[in-house]
Amino acid sequence: MSNRFGLPNLGVGIGLRTVHYPHIVEAQPQVDWFEILSDNYLHTAGRPLHFLDAIAARYPVAMHGVALSIGSVDPLDRAYLAELRALRDRTGARWVSDHLCWTGVAGRNSHDLLPMPYTEEALAHVVGRVRAVQDFLGAPLALENPSTYAEHAGAVMPEWEFLARLAEQADCALLLDVNNVYVSAYNHGFDPDAYLAAIPFDRVVQLHVAGHTHHGTHILDSHIGPVIGEVWQLLGSAFERAGGVSVLLEWDAEIPDFEATHAEALRALEFIGQRGARLQAAP
Amino acid sequence: MNRHVIDVVALHERASATPEGAARAVRAHRAPEGPAPALSLQERGLAATQRWFARAIMTPEGQAEAQGEAEAAARLQGSARLGPEGRLEIYRRAYHGRLVECLADDYPVLQGALGEAGFEALCRAYIERYPSQSPSLNYYGRLMPSFLRGEAPAGPSVAPGFAADLAALEWSIVEVIHERSLDPLSLQGLAQVPAEAWATAHLVPNPALRLQSFDYPVNAFFQAVREGLSPAIPAASPSATVVYRSGPTIWRMDLTAPMFVVLSALVSGENLGDALGRAAEGLGDVDPATVGERVTYWFREWIASGLFVGVQTG
Repeated sequence: MSNRFGLPNLGVGIGLRTVHYPHIVEAQPQVDWFEILSDNYLHTAGRPLHFLDAIAARYPVAMHGVALSIGSVDPLDRAYLAELRALRDRTGARWVSDHLCWTGVAGRNSHDLLPMPYTEEALAHVVGRVRAVQDFLGAPLALENPSTYAEHAGAVMPEWEFLARLAEQADCALLLDVNNVYVSAYNHGFDPDAYLAAIPFDRVVQLHVAGHTHHGTHILDSHIGPVIGEVWQLLGSAFERAGGVSVLLEWDAEIPDFEATHAEALRALEFIGQRGARLQAAP
Repeated sequence: MNRHVIDVVALHERASATPEGAARAVRAHRAPEGPAPALSLQERGLAATQRWFARAIMTPEGQAEAQGEAEAAARLQGSARLGPEGRLEIYRRAYHGRLVECLADDYPVLQGALGEAGFEALCRAYIERYPSQSPSLNYYGRLMPSFLRGEAPAGPSVAPGFAADLAALEWSIVEVIHERSLDPLSLQGLAQVPAEAWATAHLVPNPALRLQSFDYPVNAFFQAVREGLSPAIPAASPSATVVYRSGPTIWRMDLTAPMFVVLSALVSGENLGDALGRAAEGLGDVDPATVGERVTYWFREWIASGLFVGVQTG
């Protein structure tokens, strides 16, 4: 099964990070694709775009943002959407993603991915906004399941049900972060396999893996360090259910050199088999 | 003329990761006494929920106790491992931690000068005074120099004037990172200007250029830190620096007082005749016969360095 949007399987990529810019531009390493952090390239006309243009000209890219605030009760930020669309057109990004969350309210921005209350009211609210964003972009939006540390007491459904119903009703794509599934499963005490079983995989256009930090009482989605075995196993399971899909490693703190980061990403091939190799990627 | 490159400027990514600043052990919270307050349907609605959550996590950590654990108990689910207020505190720390990281990216040398604790206290006061109102963090720190000059409570551990000057220098680096840059004017391009149009021609400055004068020698301090030294906080002594970007490379160049006068005039759009003539004002102690020679040298260096992107005649 491949995704219903016809979006390509780009292979195994890594998140583009500023510390790796010079190496990528100078050495031009073999990498299937890069995920760019949209917000690094908005509200700037300078140096970040200098590198991005060179990298997007050579590698396939997809955009991943943190500031759409799709769940907020504040009005959608049309100026932000216009910048996103312009960046998509500039880079030729294959798709645009952000998170199922809200980042601020009443004009104040926390710059954090804050948890939605999984209620019928919130579902209807987010469905309408996802449709509006997709109309604006003229393309499906991929929403990612976030790592969360709190659940609202008024929730009437689990996150996986909210996500599945949202995807169906808004006709949007999903970016499934299997590390976030693992982190939230620990933090809230649910079974990660039950989460995966509820996901409509024909809507999943990308998978994320990352490291995390275990603090006993909770796990932080720190994107530090290598990916643990259980998360790799979840990746393999999700990849199989999706019938082959783009895979990406995020590493955001204590980032090693490019080769080590890429080597960690390529460990995915041990868990997704030959179907994940570049030869299987769509052109 | 001494100029220094700032090599790789690696900023914290605008990524989805939760900063490790949030990772310290979450305090044990005393369970609130009595049942959690009942919330009305409206109070449980999406808008009220988001307003409450945002207010709760943006409350400074020191004031969080007074913020009320009872409402957290009514609004959030807990578990045997971690109660509602402990969960809220993870978000509160992430909120403050991420913004402190952002300001540390913008002001790394100021952070070193103030020390970790002094810098964090400054940032927390800044975050409370200026909550972010933009989806972008690129310009979040822009008010730090003026905050240090005026409103910063209690002042940092070093002379406020020094801290403000250093912040202004560091902020100009952020500005030139994000400002567009154009192809520089070459000496050959300048040579196209007819001799009779020379005195009335204007230069177009590189948009990614910031020219500043300071009460303290902050660029020398900055450079010493970049070289791995541990310089003492300097005494007040006037200085001037131009910060600019050429392609991906960011440069800092110190200027003498007469250089600053001439370059300011050129950057502000004075014609070449008037601007270069200002050198005589600042070089009063120099043999008038050599003033022209000296200014010509500066001028060629500035053009060759890429400080200007065009020339307008007529």
